[in-house]
Amino acid sequence: MIKAAVIDNGIVGLRESYLDQPHVQYDFLPTHQATAPDFSPYDLLVVPNGTDQVAMYRWREAVQGFLNQGKTLFCFDGWFTNWLPGSQWMADNSKKTIDIRYTLKSDHYGLFEGVDLDHFIFSNGISGWWACGYIQPTPNAEVVVADTWGRCIMLLDEQTTPGTIFATASGPLGDYAYGTTDDAGSMEGLTRLYHNLLTKLIKIPVS
Amino acid sequence: MIGLLFNGVWSQYAFAKAGKYQHLYRLLYIHDLTEASLQGLKAIAVPFQSNQAAIRERKGLIYNFLKQGGKVFVAGDSTADWLDAQWEDRPVNNYWWVKDPNNPPVSQTDYSHPIYEGLSARHACWHTHGVYTRIPEHARIVQTNGKGEVISWETNHYGGTLFVTTLDPIVEHGIQQITHLDHYVDKLTEWLCGVKPEGQFEMQAADYGVAWEND
Repeated sequence: MIKAAVIDNGIVGLRESYLDQPHVQYDFLPTHQATAPDFSPYDLLVVPNGTDQVAMYRWREAVQGFLNQGKTLFCFDGWFTNWLPGSQWMADNSKKTIDIRYTLKSDHYGLFEGVDLDHFIFSNGISGWWACGYIQPTPNAEVVVADTWGRCIMLLDEQTTPGTIFATASGPLGDYAYGTTDDAGSMEGLTRLYHNLLTKLIKIPVS
Repeated sequence: MIGLLFNGVWSQYAFAKAGKYQHLYRLLYIHDLTEASLQGLKAIAVPFQSNQAAIRERKGLIYNFLKQGGKVFVAGDSTADWLDAQWEDRPVNNYWWVKDPNNPPVSQTDYSHPIYEGLSARHACWHTHGVYTRIPEHARIVQTNGKGEVISWETNHYGGTLFVTTLDPIVEHGIQQITHLDHYVDKLTEWLCGVKPEGQFEMQAADYGVAWEND
């Protein structure tokens, strides 16, 4: 059983996006407190789409401590504050969404097994719906998916900290993506990839 | 100057940092909001993806601002805990313009309202996040969907002007995936503070990878 914490800034649709299942159980950690919550009971920290990036900045030392314990961080949001170790997300409006295509660059864990990357490119026939901006990856990180211009859109970093960082350029992943898409293929794609992350990336110590 | 209630969401931040809006909007981090934060402001904007529970705890600040004659703009969802209205969720249709372009999510708009005056139908609605199934008796309806459900409404009952809509202009403009939103947001901004924004929506690399400036 994976014990996961989801950062919760109260936005609509968030709690429906992470549903308890036999292999994963979630707690939602509200962002109203200036001091960081205790992340130590958790194997996984989820920073969902639409997160409070001010709170994450204020809690950055606690996140570093969590990763130092060899645990796993998923960030599916645009982190404009510099709290995430190693890499940095950047907003950008210089590219047209109609031109956005993605390419799988590296996937030695098989995260995309059973996942059609086209479902992340097109939703209801419209391209560029999923991610926003791009990631400036640390040289230690593995670029999993790049966009039309070779920019990092999905990143796996197992080198910068003792833990594992998986991040997207603000592309939502979970059991649901409120308001983002209702395209059946896109919903299936983001849900399947998310559950592949859970089963293939989380390292739970044997007790 | 317009105070933008800020839930730490990147699109809210990107909007407030954009070249054409940064001198007109001030980010007000919701968990640090005090009476002093609102001093000197002409208006408050409450964007989509706000923290409704945190707003409820500070609703006295908002209604006091209205009592003093200010304007308050509320976008997206809300709760009846702080607004005398009932918001209900509905599926978001953000592809109607491809699959059914003659059937937009808003069918009726009062174009005499200053925000909408001169806007085309396409610029007056891109998509909606739910509807209002109840609004105050003293409110005026500004936009409805094809079922007659309320999308936008306004009231002067609290002193100033409270305008509420399930559109999401600020968050969506911050995301920058819809290219025509300058039309709506510029009208909105001018209505809120009296200044029409000019120039381009420029994102500066120096605004990303930053410390939170108020720390």
